[in-house]
Amino acid sequence: MKKFTLMLLTLLMIVSMLSAQELTGLKIIENVYNRSTGEDQEGDLTMSLINSRGDERVREIKQYLIEFGDMEKKIMFFISPADVRNTSFMNWSYDEVGKDDDQWIYLPALKKVKRISSDSKSDYFMGSDFTYDDLGDRHPSQDTHKLLREEEIDGETCYVVESIPKEEEYMYSKTITWIIKDKWIGKKKEFYDEDEDFLKTLTVNETKVIKDYIVITLSEMHNVQKDHRTIMKLDNVIIDSGVSENKFTERMMKRGL
Amino acid sequence: MKRKNIIVFLLMTATIMLNAQIIHHGFVRTYLGALTEQDGEYSVLQNTFDWKLDYGKGNVALYVNPVFDYNALDDNLDISLRQGYMDIYFDNFDLRIGKQQIIWGKADGVFITDVISPRDLSEFILPDFEEIRIGTNAIKFDYYLGNSTFEAVWIPTFESTILPEENSIWAPKMPNFTMPVNYDYTYTEVENKLSESEIAFKYSYLGSAIDFELMAAYMWDDNPAMHIFLQPDSTLLIKPEYHRLPLAGASFSKAVGGAVIRGEAAYYFEKRFAAEDLTFNRVKDKDYAHYLIGYDHNWFGMNVSFQFIQEYILDYENDISNDEFTSTMTFLVTEDFLRETLRLEFFSYYGINNEDALLRPKISYDLADGFEVQLGANIFVGEEGNFGQYDENDMLFMKVRYDF
Repeated sequence: MKKFTLMLLTLLMIVSMLSAQELTGLKIIENVYNRSTGEDQEGDLTMSLINSRGDERVREIKQYLIEFGDMEKKIMFFISPADVRNTSFMNWSYDEVGKDDDQWIYLPALKKVKRISSDSKSDYFMGSDFTYDDLGDRHPSQDTHKLLREEEIDGETCYVVESIPKEEEYMYSKTITWIIKDKWIGKKKEFYDEDEDFLKTLTVNETKVIKDYIVITLSEMHNVQKDHRTIMKLDNVIIDSGVSENKFTERMMKRGL
Repeated sequence: MKRKNIIVFLLMTATIMLNAQIIHHGFVRTYLGALTEQDGEYSVLQNTFDWKLDYGKGNVALYVNPVFDYNALDDNLDISLRQGYMDIYFDNFDLRIGKQQIIWGKADGVFITDVISPRDLSEFILPDFEEIRIGTNAIKFDYYLGNSTFEAVWIPTFESTILPEENSIWAPKMPNFTMPVNYDYTYTEVENKLSESEIAFKYSYLGSAIDFELMAAYMWDDNPAMHIFLQPDSTLLIKPEYHRLPLAGASFSKAVGGAVIRGEAAYYFEKRFAAEDLTFNRVKDKDYAHYLIGYDHNWFGMNVSFQFIQEYILDYENDISNDEFTSTMTFLVTEDFLRETLRLEFFSYYGINNEDALLRPKISYDLADGFEVQLGANIFVGEEGNFGQYDENDMLFMKVRYDF
């Protein structure tokens, strides 16, 4: 009987520890960060930049991603507009905390691959409402996370987590993310600027399950301060097709698609 | 002109034949430049059609880039082929055969190890760098091993840098001769034969810790040496002659705390320099070093870049026209506004020896995607030196460009 009580107590403790972990903001964000997205991915990215007057400009990119060990390599080939055609951009990011990304750009007019400063993460990517940092995977240890509440959006229960950067000079004072329970994928994210004013919202409008992986295929970033928005669409997604590591080299940056 | 017509005809025929698979792109541009010191006299009034044609099938690709320049000031249509080559891709190596621009090194706007493609300096260094470099007829072989590339280039025929014409506002200031001068161009041509060809090798690595290149080349000096002979009749005979120029160099770029540090150096063996000593026909051979250190950073959304460049003539003698050390600095700052539709840029060269400079402010605005208007200025400061000699050539310019 004693043995049974001990087992029951241990079980209760494990269950209570697990549920406590689930309710931790950090744990939720770690689950999002560690959600499996496949070994490699390729897809056609279309960004529609819409200003406050409703004028639209379109950027088209072919991108490839590969993950191995503690690093991720990404290469983007710019297809349009015409003045950036054949430009390519390569990013190597690392799980190691504090290790900066390595970034290179190939400009066809200069005909050379140029290493660029990774300190420009707060720059907007191709004039969109996404910064380079918004497009990358921010390591959970860079922010302090707090689970605020649970909330239902579009029929899905979400954890609402507030993340405050540990770095003082960071471009956002805080972000609030709505994460779909059990799927560990973001549904919505609000960004607050350095003055703690509401800056922009990222909304995930469509996800697809491809080879058992959930992929965000349609999202929108709306800058409420300037009232412009960027719609990001990902088509023709192929996962785990065995993209070669040789794709992520100086040779391919110069050669293009 | 007949030859040009044939080229255009062939291009058009090839385009029609292969039209289904050919990708066309390029740009159309109007470029107007006015000299502020000459009551706004136009120095450039040019319309350009830069046409790029890509064709690829399997592991073979073709690229042709004819350029049509119409210069309204002298009512002249100039047709040229900037590049025209074929690529053959294999698993671990590539071959590129034909007229091509080959660009080496990590420097921006400075030519240290970047000596493979000759330059068109007919408008000094003011055109875009894509337009300054002349495609050279070459066979380029690249072998890839992980993040390393071994490159070998064979250039069968020598092509020199294009210098400004004598009556051009960009013609460099010539020394004042006190005696009458005659020219002998007998030795100016480099013969088109195998023994006169150029070869160059490069090893490059691109990785997380550092990017670097090592190179060696057996080239011709792109600029002829002016051998000057005193004649019995007290006149001077000038014989321009090209000389071989072996060189070796290296360059690197490395991320350091969010910034990028770049360096590049080359050692040239027995480069010819103009000198006063007539017993050496006013030319002396000296080893020469050319090196640079650069720093790129992003400050508050502005991209800022500094470079310090130095040229050093070893075993220096006082009668050599160039200084033993020539130091130059460059400074570049760019910032984008309005979702990258408006760009402000300021680029400058500063010559430390002669306290001269070239200042190049520019504003670009995208009226629509690929449709850009540029307004800018080229301001020369100083009285002598690389930039100061053009003090009278301050220019305002406007370019309207449409990429398709």
